[in-house]
Amino acid sequence: MPIKVPWLEGVFPALVTPFDRETEAVDEEAYRRLIRHALPDVNGIVTSGTTGEFPYLTREEQRRLVEIGVEEADGKPVIAGCGASSTQEAVTLARDAKESGASAALIVTPYFLHPSDKGVYQHFYDIATSVDLPIVLYNIPQVMDAYLPRTVVEDLADLPTVIGIKDSSGDLTYTMEILEYAGDRIDVFVGHDEVVLPALAGGVSGMILASAQVYPEVWQEVIRLVKAGQIDDARARQREVQKLSRIFCRHGGGVAVKAALKMMGLDMGPPRKPLKRVGGGLIHETRAEIRLELEKMGKVPMVGTAFEYPTAPLAERFGDLEITSEMVDEHALRVGSGVAGEGINRVQIDLIAGGKETPLGDAYALQMTYPMHRRQALTAILEPALTVRPPTLVLPTLPQRNLRQANMIYGPTQSALARAIVEAVETERIPAEAVDSDVMVALTTVHPRALDRHGLFESVHAAAAKALEQAFA
Amino acid sequence: MGYKTNWMKGIFPALVTPFESNGGIDEDAYRELIRFLLPDVDGVVPCGTTGEFSYMTLEERKQAIEICLDVVDGQVPVLAGTGCTTTKQTVALTRWARDAGVDGALVVAPYYLKPSFNEVYDHFKAVDEVGLPLVMYNIPQCAGTHFKWWTAEGGLLDFENTIGIKDSSGDLPFMEALFEKVRGKVSIFVGHDEVVQAALAAGADGAILASANLIPDIWQQVYAATEAGDFGTAQEWQQKVQKLVRIVVRCGANQACKEGLRMMGVDVGDSRHPIVPGGAFRREDREELRLQLEALGKIEKHAVTYAVGEKRVATDVFATPATPDTIDDWTLKVGEGFAGPPFQELAHVDLLIGLKDGPVGRAIERAMAEGGAERGLRIIEERPRTLLVPTVTIRTDEQRALFERAAQGVKLAIDLSIDDGFLPDPILDDVVLIVNAFVHPAASIGRRVEFNNYKAARHAIRKALEGRPAVRELIEEKEAARHPFRYAP
Repeated sequence: MPIKVPWLEGVFPALVTPFDRETEAVDEEAYRRLIRHALPDVNGIVTSGTTGEFPYLTREEQRRLVEIGVEEADGKPVIAGCGASSTQEAVTLARDAKESGASAALIVTPYFLHPSDKGVYQHFYDIATSVDLPIVLYNIPQVMDAYLPRTVVEDLADLPTVIGIKDSSGDLTYTMEILEYAGDRIDVFVGHDEVVLPALAGGVSGMILASAQVYPEVWQEVIRLVKAGQIDDARARQREVQKLSRIFCRHGGGVAVKAALKMMGLDMGPPRKPLKRVGGGLIHETRAEIRLELEKMGKVPMVGTAFEYPTAPLAERFGDLEITSEMVDEHALRVGSGVAGEGINRVQIDLIAGGKETPLGDAYALQMTYPMHRRQALTAILEPALTVRPPTLVLPTLPQRNLRQANMIYGPTQSALARAIVEAVETERIPAEAVDSDVMVALTTVHPRALDRHGLFESVHAAAAKALEQAFA
Repeated sequence: MGYKTNWMKGIFPALVTPFESNGGIDEDAYRELIRFLLPDVDGVVPCGTTGEFSYMTLEERKQAIEICLDVVDGQVPVLAGTGCTTTKQTVALTRWARDAGVDGALVVAPYYLKPSFNEVYDHFKAVDEVGLPLVMYNIPQCAGTHFKWWTAEGGLLDFENTIGIKDSSGDLPFMEALFEKVRGKVSIFVGHDEVVQAALAAGADGAILASANLIPDIWQQVYAATEAGDFGTAQEWQQKVQKLVRIVVRCGANQACKEGLRMMGVDVGDSRHPIVPGGAFRREDREELRLQLEALGKIEKHAVTYAVGEKRVATDVFATPATPDTIDDWTLKVGEGFAGPPFQELAHVDLLIGLKDGPVGRAIERAMAEGGAERGLRIIEERPRTLLVPTVTIRTDEQRALFERAAQGVKLAIDLSIDDGFLPDPILDDVVLIVNAFVHPAASIGRRVEFNNYKAARHAIRKALEGRPAVRELIEEKEAARHPFRYAP
């Protein structure tokens, strides 16, 4: 009969594997630093998991990672990823892990060729009966393109060395089914960072997570709160890390974790090719979002936020466009200002409108030739290929220090301004003739720490409506 | 035992159904469409998927079939779409169609709730018993129900009145299984426009196609060449229309066909909601569809007057109903173009066209005088004088090389716009362009960067000149518009 092991519970990070920037060799020192960083808040560690890019590692490298893990783990259990597409290779890896002192082997569903249920069962059976090492089964359909069938798990749970299963699917119907049919015999671990709380509430014993090397203390807290029955507090903690967890699970995996660790001062190097450090599965925009979330958690220092909303008399605020208050009068340019939102959602729009033949037409065209460094003007669009009329530029008044700040302009601000303009055209607040004869520029001041795109959209929309109302009064 | 008719062969359009905006079927437009297509088709299909049968009431479907029968008047067979989700409704509508005088019924696999194979089989069995020649219809991408070859084989061979199957899956292994099991005993029609030539060459008897609303004559060429054993000619035609049909099929055939027909001068309105213009059939698809229809000779050139300063220049351009008769007010025109995928290689072009001695011309000269070259600005054409502005700072040699590809794409767009008359030669010394081009820092595939920038710039030029998007479009779409970067990852 299977025996549940007492140590298989709590928080286990699926460690990334650090590589040298040039040679792509495993950076053993960085690995030791990573383990020492995570160790205080974890119950054990996992080497050569999916986050650790195991399909890109050689047998020797995997063995070294286990050895280092055992040396650094200070007696805490080390679960060695021993997944392979062939049974023979998985057995070899598990034997290596046993010799290196691992506490268990994490074995993924065999991949690439798709064996039948019988083949999958035989795979795990052969490993379990060939190697004297506890086994944790591993379901991760998003990379394997197949589930570890529940009926197979149900039978494998009878094998004496099978002690658990890690379910990374995030599919709670599957998790509940496994708990129902095998939970009495093996420990079920959640492996999907986005559903930790519901999985714990449903009865899993612990977690193996990519994010458990970035914020293991949060997960320890969630476990404690669930055990104490404080579900509201547990929800709040899960919610705090929801976006980062989503990014790690769905927008870059181990690559995103490495990006986060680097921001926290733990440089784990690039992933192995063909993965890219950034610009592939992890796009630049998402990397910028990671920084913001880490800032919120206090894991990286905040970027400076000193700034001011423009306060000069309205007609004097358009100096960047080389438009003076005299020109506003002389050419009958229309100006309007609007403010909306509170705190970091506060937005100020200073809008100027006028004929294409006026100096504003020249200013408009000049902006299109001169993307001011960090203050690039963008055309107001409802969405790409829906440019509003009269043609309008969004010009940020503050320098965009990073892509994350730029993303608050490109997208939420741009489309909210566009929406307000089209509404003003529809209600004829903006007269029909101006649609063809005029251009507009909206100087936009967005808080450098703005982060709630939905709130920002609302603020810009309201501020722009006010500015248009004043300008076209 | 099913059987093979002598009429179930050749090219059948899956007719779009014209609707009055917020109203019923636009009968006049429907009649005009059918008359427009009749010379080039071997049969017609009212109330198919492209005909938006699933958005029509039973009464409307009957009305459409009646109109169709009236206009066709026996010249070609009418194969009416009578499929519904329930067996009872399908049988009732098929009975009605039998009595109305259609030649056959095209019956889609029951959709939404996913019946099992034996339930699908029994559904078709009940419809077969109506006594009208029956064509089974497999379109898993919409129905969510993919019947296996054994379901098809069983029905096609065992039912009394089943004369064929239309397979729109594009799944050639499935079609080959059909050929293996039932070829020669019933008609096998292909319904996926991207694999027509392959399917005909492999043994299909004909095709029921969305794009046969637009290019039935070309499909006849493919069919005739294949019948004659001239596969080379058939392949050439398929390849010539491949981009057009990919746009039609992938982007929701109904709206694409309707906008294509409108550009060709046959106004059949828009699709019913929730299909919306600029939705699955994206705006950049509309521009590309237009270019493809031009290349195939489906949109004619018309004279447009360019009033630039004192000049009056008449130029022939491929005009659509959205093209103004006179293009004037050249102070400053704004055009935008967007083309992708893939994401990293997408192009987003913002473009100004204006007079050399107006704000656009002055901006170019000032930018170049004030160190524009150091900021990466450069003149890429002299006629018309065109300033190219990178909107993302170029840092690496790879990025520089990719931006060069973007520049080549923009140049090509200008050259082809000169060739096709949108930028007529007599005004090239009077107008200038500023083109802002964006290349994502993570872009890799140079060919896509170049081609997407070509597309985006060519679209932007036309949109600037034609004053698109129109205010009406902006107002209609302001609520539904979804800026892709408005949302958190």
